[in-house]
Amino acid sequence: MFLKLAWLNIWRNGRRTMITVASVFFAVLLAITFRSVTDGVYENMIHNVVSYSSGYLQIHKKGYWDEQSIDNSFEADEELSKNLLDNPKVTGLMPRLETFALSSFADKTKGVMVLGIDPTSEKKVNQLNEKVVEGIYFESNSAEQILIGSGLAEQLNAKVNDTLVLIGQGYHASSAAGKFNIVGILKLGSPELNSNVIYMPLKTSQYLHGAENRLTSLSIMLGKTSDLESSKEAIESVIDTEAYEVMTWKQMMPEMDQFIEADSSGHYIVIGILYIIISFGLFGTLLMMTFERNREFGILIAIGMKKHLLAYVILLESIMISLMGCLMGVLGGTLIVHLLTEYPVQFSGSLREVYEDYGFEPIIYFSGNIRIFIYQTLIVLVLASLLSLYPGFKVLRLRPVDAINS
Amino acid sequence: MGKTIIDAHNVSKTYKETAVPVRALQDVHLHIEEGEFVALVGPSGSGKSTLLNMIGGLDEPTSGTVYVDGVEITKLPENKLIDFRLQNIGFVFQSFNLIPVLTSRENIGFVLQLQKVSKKDREKRVLELLREVDLEEKIDSRPGELSGGQQQRVAVARALASKPKIILADEPTANLDSKSASNLLDIMAKLNKEEKITFLFSTHDQRVIEKARRVITLVDGKVDSDVNQKPT
Ligand SMILES: Nc1ncnc2c1ncn2[C@@H]1O[C@H](COP(=O)(O)OP(=O)(O)O)[C@@H](O)[C@H]1O
Ligand SMILES: [Mg+2]
Repeated sequence: MFLKLAWLNIWRNGRRTMITVASVFFAVLLAITFRSVTDGVYENMIHNVVSYSSGYLQIHKKGYWDEQSIDNSFEADEELSKNLLDNPKVTGLMPRLETFALSSFADKTKGVMVLGIDPTSEKKVNQLNEKVVEGIYFESNSAEQILIGSGLAEQLNAKVNDTLVLIGQGYHASSAAGKFNIVGILKLGSPELNSNVIYMPLKTSQYLHGAENRLTSLSIMLGKTSDLESSKEAIESVIDTEAYEVMTWKQMMPEMDQFIEADSSGHYIVIGILYIIISFGLFGTLLMMTFERNREFGILIAIGMKKHLLAYVILLESIMISLMGCLMGVLGGTLIVHLLTEYPVQFSGSLREVYEDYGFEPIIYFSGNIRIFIYQTLIVLVLASLLSLYPGFKVLRLRPVDAINS
Repeated sequence: MGKTIIDAHNVSKTYKETAVPVRALQDVHLHIEEGEFVALVGPSGSGKSTLLNMIGGLDEPTSGTVYVDGVEITKLPENKLIDFRLQNIGFVFQSFNLIPVLTSRENIGFVLQLQKVSKKDREKRVLELLREVDLEEKIDSRPGELSGGQQQRVAVARALASKPKIILADEPTANLDSKSASNLLDIMAKLNKEEKITFLFSTHDQRVIEKARRVITLVDGKVDSDVNQKPT
């Protein structure tokens, strides 16, 4: 009965209600599209960055992160890899042996990071092969070959087919030295990586370091950015946490996480302002809807309707108006996000070049994360309830005589 | 002597919110028995509405007590009082009594729903009530589609819905033409006679006054006269 009454009441002034519904609709639509773009851009950025660096999650020997030495490596374990891949959220694994070495070519010497990688996995996960701008990609997991960043190539003045000398420290203080043929030059998005990294097939690197079948890290790729914490927990539950540590990219790259957090706080302000604007509209409508019915409320109280029931009807009216706008907004937002995911917006001009330089696709990504939609709906519902508090409170204090005489 | 239904003792009301306090009622005594049909008359500003509000528990007297059917309503806490009104008192105001978005059926049914009457019984009772006020054919009309007189009759039907002991009506005919007014009064008189419902209504319409069996006249917030008469 109260539902019906509230529903009929909101259509007493259909135009006003439609305007209010429309304002909620546009706000929700804007908020969803905005959140979807910003989240989409972040998700894409995170995905790009982690696929070349840490992966979403990494498994190390316990203590490796605090002391990143080859002595803190662990034995690769087929069983473990299989277990991890059984998790549907996990889309790929990248076993790595990461060490430091001195590289020299002719009269130039430079400290470098040596990444022993599985050529097949990296090709699958981050298309490392496509970053080769000169020469070729690895031919096998045990080839005596290296790929170097283009920045490093410039600094060493080395070219494809040149031979580089690497001197480093192997497992348990053994020495690790060797000569390697540069088969390709990579252009990597991160300048930092580009001028410091040497890639080497995993087997070759393990042999070089006297670390047969050992890894410093096992990087894990996920299908969705948002599955991070739940996947971490899932993985921790299947491995021996006494022997291994599981870390998220947020733990390994706190600067990037902080950057995103700081950047998104600006977005919250934008959305906040949006909602403050519609709150005023909704509040105004609610006030008008209640004050113009003052006398009617008085009569209803006189004939025996309790005040809290009246306040409840007002709450229902507020929720109905905002929910209508909100649902329309969610529907419209879903449509927009869906369309723009199917037919992505491409950057052009200089922005496109900047993106491509960093190895990103020049596309605006949209996040279809369901949480965006749920949050917006919840925010609107909470707002609607809060805004009906004041008129509700007014009704609770209404004296029927005054109302009837008004 | 019948059963006392309204018993007001020493009721005074002073409105203090105004610049000069207004003494709207001064030591009013009122005693009405079950089944009476009473007109409350007096010039505008004499305190008729104020007295009806005190009896209906819509406002509190500055001093004095009001008993309705033996309950001292001046002492009831708010929610109890609202419930008491729902169960025992029917109201008809001068105009705009009904919820405009609801049909006659729904307006009357609303009170029954507040009383938690089952849907089946509600339907039956609504029909019965509309028959009493001779408006069965307007069951699905909204107030806006009814004439003033018809609206007042639906309001009377709604006031009857909860089977109250008394119906208080503050100038129920003030906005009606004389034909509708006398029609409404005839219906009220019939209900009074057949259903033994006590009516207390204020008016300053001479033709309406003539239909009452007892006429209480207020002047300056005091009972000036209280006479029984033979209704026309
Ligand atoms: N809410 C109020 N505040 C101040 N004065 C009031 C109020 N209601 C009524 N009065 C005054 O009380 C007196 C009696 O009013 P009322 O009971 O409405 O008379 P009636 O219904 O007989 O016309 C009048 O002088 C009126 O101005
Ligand atoms: Mg009056």
